[in-house]
Amino acid sequence: MSVVDEVAKRPATRKPPESNSAAKSDGSAERARLRLMMLIRRFEERTVQEYQKAGQKIGGFCHVYSGQEAIAVGISAIFQKGKDQLINGYRCHGHSLALGMPARDCFAELFGKATGCSKGKGGSMHFFDAEAGNNGGHGIVGGHIPVGLGLAFAQKYKNTGGVTFCLFGDGAINQGTHNEALNMASLMKAPVIWIVENNGVAMGTQVERSSAEKDLAERGSGYAMPHYHVDGNDVDTVIEKFGAAVERARKGEGPSYIVADTYRFRGHSMSDAMKYRTKDEMEKAKLRDPITLYEVRLREQGLLTQEQIDQLQEEVSKEVADAVAQADNDPHPQLEDRFDDILAEKYPYQPK
Amino acid sequence: MARPCLLLNPTSRHGRAARGTADRTTPMAQLQFRQALRAAMTEEMERDENVFLIGEEVAEYNGAYKVSEGMLDKFGPKRIIDTPISEAAFSGLAVGSACMGLRPIVEFMSWSFTWVCIDQIVNNAANVRYMSGGQYKVPVVFRGGNGIAHQLGATHSHRMESVYARIPGLIVVHPSTPADAKGLLKSSIRCDDPVIFLESEKMLNELGEVPDDADYTVPIGVANVERQGKDVTLVSYGRALQRVVRPAVKALADDHGIDVELIDLRTLRPMDTKTCIESIKKTNRCVIVDEDWGYCGMGSGILQKLQKPAFDYLDAPIEYVHSDEIPVPFNHYLEEAMMPSVDRIVSAVKEVCYR
Ligand SMILES: Cc1ncc(C[n+]2csc(CCOP(=O)(O)OP(=O)(O)O)c2C)c(N)n1
Repeated sequence: MSVVDEVAKRPATRKPPESNSAAKSDGSAERARLRLMMLIRRFEERTVQEYQKAGQKIGGFCHVYSGQEAIAVGISAIFQKGKDQLINGYRCHGHSLALGMPARDCFAELFGKATGCSKGKGGSMHFFDAEAGNNGGHGIVGGHIPVGLGLAFAQKYKNTGGVTFCLFGDGAINQGTHNEALNMASLMKAPVIWIVENNGVAMGTQVERSSAEKDLAERGSGYAMPHYHVDGNDVDTVIEKFGAAVERARKGEGPSYIVADTYRFRGHSMSDAMKYRTKDEMEKAKLRDPITLYEVRLREQGLLTQEQIDQLQEEVSKEVADAVAQADNDPHPQLEDRFDDILAEKYPYQPK
Repeated sequence: MARPCLLLNPTSRHGRAARGTADRTTPMAQLQFRQALRAAMTEEMERDENVFLIGEEVAEYNGAYKVSEGMLDKFGPKRIIDTPISEAAFSGLAVGSACMGLRPIVEFMSWSFTWVCIDQIVNNAANVRYMSGGQYKVPVVFRGGNGIAHQLGATHSHRMESVYARIPGLIVVHPSTPADAKGLLKSSIRCDDPVIFLESEKMLNELGEVPDDADYTVPIGVANVERQGKDVTLVSYGRALQRVVRPAVKALADDHGIDVELIDLRTLRPMDTKTCIESIKKTNRCVIVDEDWGYCGMGSGILQKLQKPAFDYLDAPIEYVHSDEIPVPFNHYLEEAMMPSVDRIVSAVKEVCYR
């Protein structure tokens, strides 16, 4: 059964988990989450438009996050800024916005501008904000998994109480780094949450064709850590289940392996015509759009009116439009800047 | 505060190899190369609790080559960390933890094994600072045995210096004396950039005078004019220098009356081009020696840095003596035959001297 079928079986709306105390709030937290998901979607759809503009406005590879927003936003709800760390692959726009990076800094990076979050030296695949706890943005599939282990190792070494969220796709789990890092994390009881964003496909290769074990959570077994699936389109479930893993890690009990099942609405990258997907599959997937699901739930719970939703939409549209306008007007880096940021020291190096 | 050490130390084994601290008498100990490395790591770990050592067999086994012997007892398992055979994971772990302010020392049993984790060193350690627009420092030292040791066969004999020395964002260091090993390793650990620190299994037993001083360091990026001479500049580093270059220099002086100026590069990236050029201005001739393969080898990179600025001072083309371009054979005689020898160096020097 494909991921879509499996996820589609689940009810469109469900009661929020009891343990989610925020659900009993006045609804402002929920509305903020919905808004964040809407902002990410709007950002990505605008990115697609900007990419298609003449003149290579956004060059290079560009992978958008549309459809997977509930995972990033769910994480942001439990992420403790200043304490926790996050690292992910090249599909990094959504997480960056979710951690509070301004849309303007992100668009500026896409346009290669000096004001970009990586000074125009990273691009779409390499969004960084050390202060926000966003450690990138990494372009080599599976290559950042050991680095994520290192972030968690440092948290433990320094006893910060923080945890690391290390995200990767279903394609990355077939890299050797995945085995090495999971094994070491478990031996070390590193406070890391391994998160597979399982959108069912790596470029054009369906999970069923790349993983001999079809149940991806089982890929976490053999490393002596809890491993389970989460409905990655349901932000409340993400918060609850990820929250349990975080609690465990904070208590020093070590890593967890979570497969968040989801779907990407767009192609792998801008050049992908998605010939490997049927219309039927896409229609079905739309029924489980994480944003729509959440809107419906919040309306049912009386936390939100259609009017308020429309207003949120207007707000995020304006935020994105303003960000693009600002980023458009931002300067390119000075040509001499290309020699900066290579080494920290001037050489010959005299030790301090 | 440590001072750069600029005086040649006349008591060192190779006459003028080590640099002692200029303005005081530094107590010297006779140490093996491995003990010098251990002293550097131990002193720096005592100095800074963010420094830790990680790698295969570094802790309970006391190090595959006993470089870290006794360090587990001294610092405990939090800071001397055994790993599974997972080079990609522990080299990447070092990068991540360095981004968070720790100062890892990664020991590779052999640099030949780093083919499986070059991604971590190049795509992560070297790149993360640049592609984040300077948001991270990556103060990590990757160290271990490099090059041809003794009958280890093709897979265990790689010379990795040219692989890493071509990467912007990395520092590459290759000491040739125990004193330099200590001083350069201490500098590398204190340095805020990723350092590739190359040793040789075959040199670990070498003895030499090593300053005892916790402040003794050798600056990165400065070559050592190990021997002054007027006839030809010989540029080398690391094991080739220790194994064949020094004997060749002696043979050239004794048997051929050729007075060699010998430069130990010590740091391969960034390279101290200036010292080499100054020397060539004096001698008008230059020979480079290393154990790498010639084509795209370390020496061809060095040659590219010297050719143009030295051109007007050269009386002969620069010669490059390197290993034969074959996988490293197991057989002792074949292995020996593929590497630069005293004879090969002598004839290259004679050639540039038209003798
Ligand atoms: C080591 C490596 N091999 C191949 C690629 C090319 N590549 C980029 S993304 C990708 C697919 C990865 O899919 P997945 O990990 O499932 O992430 P998703 O795109 O679904 O988010 C491939 C093959 C790469 N970047 N790195």
